[in-house]
Amino acid sequence: MFRNFSRSTVRVLIASNHALFRHGLMSLFKKKLGVKVEIVAEVTNFESAIEVLEKHEVDLVIVDYDDDQLNQEDFLRRFVGGGGQKRIILVSLSNPESAMLYDRRELPLSQFEEWFEGWQEASTKLKVSSAGVDKRNNSSRSNRMKHFVVAGFLVVVLTVLLILGAGQVRLLPVAASTQAQPIDQLFRLMFFAIAFLFSLIVVFMLYSIVVFRRRKGDESDARHIEGNTKLEVTWTTIPLIIVLGLSFLGARSLAEVERPDPKALEVDVIGMQWTWRFEYPRYGIVSNELVLPVNKQVVLYLTSQDVIHSFWVPEFRVKQDLLPGGEEFVRTLRITPTEIGSYKVRCAELCGIRHAYMESPVIVVSQADFDVWVAQQTGESTDPVERGRKWSNQYGCLSCHSLDGSKLVGPSWLGLFGSEVKLADGRTVIADEAYIIESIRNPGAAIVEGYPNVMPANVGQDLSDERIQDIIAFIKTLR
Amino acid sequence: MKEKVHLFEIGLVRGLIGMTLGVLIGLGLVSGIRALLGLPVWNPEAAWVLAGVFGTIGFMLMVGVMRDWIKWALGEETPDFPETDPRLQGWAKYLSVSYDHKIIGIQYGVTALIVISLAGLFAIIFRTELIAPGIQFLQPQDYNTIMTLHGIVMIGGMLLGVGAMSNYLVPLLIGANDMAFPRLNAFAYWINVPAVILLVGTLFMGGLETGWTGYPPLSSRAPLGTQWFLLGVYFIGFSSIFGALNIIATVMKLRAKGMTYFRMPVFVWTAAATALIALTATQLIGLSFQLVMFERLFGMAFFEPAKGGNPILFQHLFWFYSHPAVYVFVLTGLGVISELLPVFARKPLFGYRWVALSSFGIALVGFLVWAHHMFTSGMEPYLRVPFMYSTLLVAVPTGVKFFSWVATIWEGKLSFETPMLFVLGAISIFLLGGLSGPPNGVVATDLHLQDTYWIVGHFHATMFGGFLFPFLAAIYYWFPKITGRMYNETLGKIHFYMMLPAFYVQSLGQMQVGLLGMRRRIADYDPALQIEFSHLLITVAAYVIGISLIIAFINFAYSAAKGKVVTTNVWRSRSPEWALLPTPIPAHNYPEPIEVVGEPYDYGLEGAVYVRLSSSAPLRETSEPSLPPDTAVASAD
Repeated sequence: MFRNFSRSTVRVLIASNHALFRHGLMSLFKKKLGVKVEIVAEVTNFESAIEVLEKHEVDLVIVDYDDDQLNQEDFLRRFVGGGGQKRIILVSLSNPESAMLYDRRELPLSQFEEWFEGWQEASTKLKVSSAGVDKRNNSSRSNRMKHFVVAGFLVVVLTVLLILGAGQVRLLPVAASTQAQPIDQLFRLMFFAIAFLFSLIVVFMLYSIVVFRRRKGDESDARHIEGNTKLEVTWTTIPLIIVLGLSFLGARSLAEVERPDPKALEVDVIGMQWTWRFEYPRYGIVSNELVLPVNKQVVLYLTSQDVIHSFWVPEFRVKQDLLPGGEEFVRTLRITPTEIGSYKVRCAELCGIRHAYMESPVIVVSQADFDVWVAQQTGESTDPVERGRKWSNQYGCLSCHSLDGSKLVGPSWLGLFGSEVKLADGRTVIADEAYIIESIRNPGAAIVEGYPNVMPANVGQDLSDERIQDIIAFIKTLR
Repeated sequence: MKEKVHLFEIGLVRGLIGMTLGVLIGLGLVSGIRALLGLPVWNPEAAWVLAGVFGTIGFMLMVGVMRDWIKWALGEETPDFPETDPRLQGWAKYLSVSYDHKIIGIQYGVTALIVISLAGLFAIIFRTELIAPGIQFLQPQDYNTIMTLHGIVMIGGMLLGVGAMSNYLVPLLIGANDMAFPRLNAFAYWINVPAVILLVGTLFMGGLETGWTGYPPLSSRAPLGTQWFLLGVYFIGFSSIFGALNIIATVMKLRAKGMTYFRMPVFVWTAAATALIALTATQLIGLSFQLVMFERLFGMAFFEPAKGGNPILFQHLFWFYSHPAVYVFVLTGLGVISELLPVFARKPLFGYRWVALSSFGIALVGFLVWAHHMFTSGMEPYLRVPFMYSTLLVAVPTGVKFFSWVATIWEGKLSFETPMLFVLGAISIFLLGGLSGPPNGVVATDLHLQDTYWIVGHFHATMFGGFLFPFLAAIYYWFPKITGRMYNETLGKIHFYMMLPAFYVQSLGQMQVGLLGMRRRIADYDPALQIEFSHLLITVAAYVIGISLIIAFINFAYSAAKGKVVTTNVWRSRSPEWALLPTPIPAHNYPEPIEVVGEPYDYGLEGAVYVRLSSSAPLRETSEPSLPPDTAVASAD
């Protein structure tokens, strides 16, 4: 009971008309109980008690149970109905051998001992008079222990089963980069922790559901347990330590993932609705597929021409958004591919209608193959049609304009040149060179009927007149 | 004899007429002004935005919710407590303005179920599309619209559900006769109706393509529908703010005698924590959406980098609300769990104060974690690690709740009526949601998980476990109190046993395909990922969940009309609405003041009383003797 008081000293108000009671109680406190007690006041009626209470802070009010001149009920009602912080006990000293206490709680016998333990912990010397209570409680305590041990065992079993089970399910794609290593390690650690914590809660729940179900016809309540501060502190502190530890590991992995290599290959990645362009400034290559040498770090400089996109190759694990806005908004991402093979970069930030299809090949090759590819790319074809095909690929035209007549976001190029085109504003024009140049330079000027006005205006800004001529030459061949 | 009510006297009908008129006036005004100025008459963006604003104002004026305020402005007297038109009975009463918090609570609740079903229907549509790779029947543009609407309409529906629970329950649980501001309460409900109409109206205005997050620059160039989307969210925000203000005032001022903060039912704690979030954070989403609206209308450049804006700024503003918003749904749900567990376990809520305070812990830490949605966004890299620490700290107060719940049912005497099943289901699902959080809260692993279906699985688990399951538990639990009739237990159990496993399949499936490379918000996926079968399972699970909810609705509708009549405290609860209030509840709740004389969850403590009528007989004459001589006897040494 005293453990509930936060201060080390207990402030007591004694209400009795009998000097003997007051003195007896004081000496009991001071000599026999050894509790640090400050007797705030001694009063003989309810009104003066109220006056004292208004002036002083009091933890405990002791009322003489045998005093006929006091109305004990006034006291009880005041403290039971009021704020509830103060405690009141009624004490009877009529029998010289015993003290009779009334706490405002009423306890069944089974709980009395627990209540009384608190009293004892406060180093009082009072003892339980009923020996029978002891035995009953001891047996139920060992029972409680048994439930706890069985459930604990089941937690271990379920954890192991979950970990084994998860091993049978495909959960992560191949890890194909150096950066994937620390990330996957962290994933494994987390899966174990998740399996354990999930089991911990679920097993104790299921165990309760099975074992502590209410028997038919049983209308009685369960044991009255209000809480346990030690337990609460434990299950606040342990998770706190765990999350701090996990954050620390996370930060360490992040540092590892972002470790720069000064000799990294530099590639500019430009995202646009709904395609990717990769530029290798060292070689002057512009490509619509990202070709990378194996085991060599590449640093990607990411920008967008229109809305936000996100660069993600699941096998590499790492991801970074591409922001529009030029220089100030360039972001970097470092990847060291470790497995030769073909992957795909998939835009991971919703970017409009064809977001789902904003995917481009990422090809990891040996250094030798990479050198061959560079040599091929840097040589320019003498055939304008071939060049046109290349530009249409690199600049992302073909992600919206098909070559086979199928309807994508924009009109197909098959049979386009020289055909009659019906525009949204009702005009009909012939698709000649001037029309195609206008459509690239100023995409909003002439919208073909049945198509949305979505072509980015800046596509044309990056294309020289010569390259547009090459593209027209290429379109002419599509019949 | 009751008078016949004309159709035009029903609030909703008047409101809809008002909205139509408002829309027409808005369209006319913009076009008229443009014509006078000699500009091209038709400017869809400006015209439809003003139409949306005027439509909402028209609705609110005509529905009658501002009647008293207008009278005050005109210097007219009104009764102190606004009374509902007594001629409105039955359906008409619920379709018109009422100031009774219970009717408003039911209005919120029914609207929530309708809106959530609509959002669920959107999900079913695009889940069907995702059943296999390739385009089945939904073109990408329509996919984006439906997917966005699923998100935002569901959020609106959940906010309505939160409003339903807190409006109906808080006054009852604290022994009040109504909310502190009944007129504001009615206003906060009714503004949702035009707001939801605006949101759904986007379907007919070119659709949406941004997802519910509405990130610019995509949202500043997305179709016209985006404007009504922004506007609808903006107006729903009003509802949240006013509702929250009302809850806080009610909890602070209208508690019954003797109900100290630590003697409130724990649901009231969560409602207060929720209100604190909604009152202080909602402005941020309203503001950020308003700025995008202005970018589109006036060519301003807050977020458009081409004109000197910063797209990351929007994300900070947006998530500063939208992360805490998660706790608006979840805390309310967790409050229901904490409230119901002791009743069905016949045991006190373990560590009442810890559970109560942990709600505020979650609410406060929840304000400091928003940037974990932006680990890959390109914000300043040094922000990431501190936000990782703060994010994971949420696990601590959340853990306190889980452990306390388990300790509450441990050694209890559990019974498994439908509300308890949903509570237990909610705990297990919310656990899944909570435990799938750290992988995306830790920066390194989030680099892989951000914007994938893992995230989709994670937040669906938190929303189902933290909101939907507890909401359903609350409906089943208070159904007898609300309707005076018992729901059908068998149908309730069928509902639960269909929904729980289906949800596990759905959520775990989503997490798996996300890990394997399935991005969020895509209309089509690469067959090379080999995730078709998982997608098929997820879709089937979504259908099962849909069917189970239809069963629940049938149960609710049928039982409300034909169920077994209930007048007693069916759950043997100690809480005041069951222990003291008659069923059905009279108009102003407690016929006489009540008084709190004990702890709320003292199950198993013989003779313990929580609440009683203030007028009840003095202590010595009650059934609990005040000085039992033999219950607590100790002898001195």
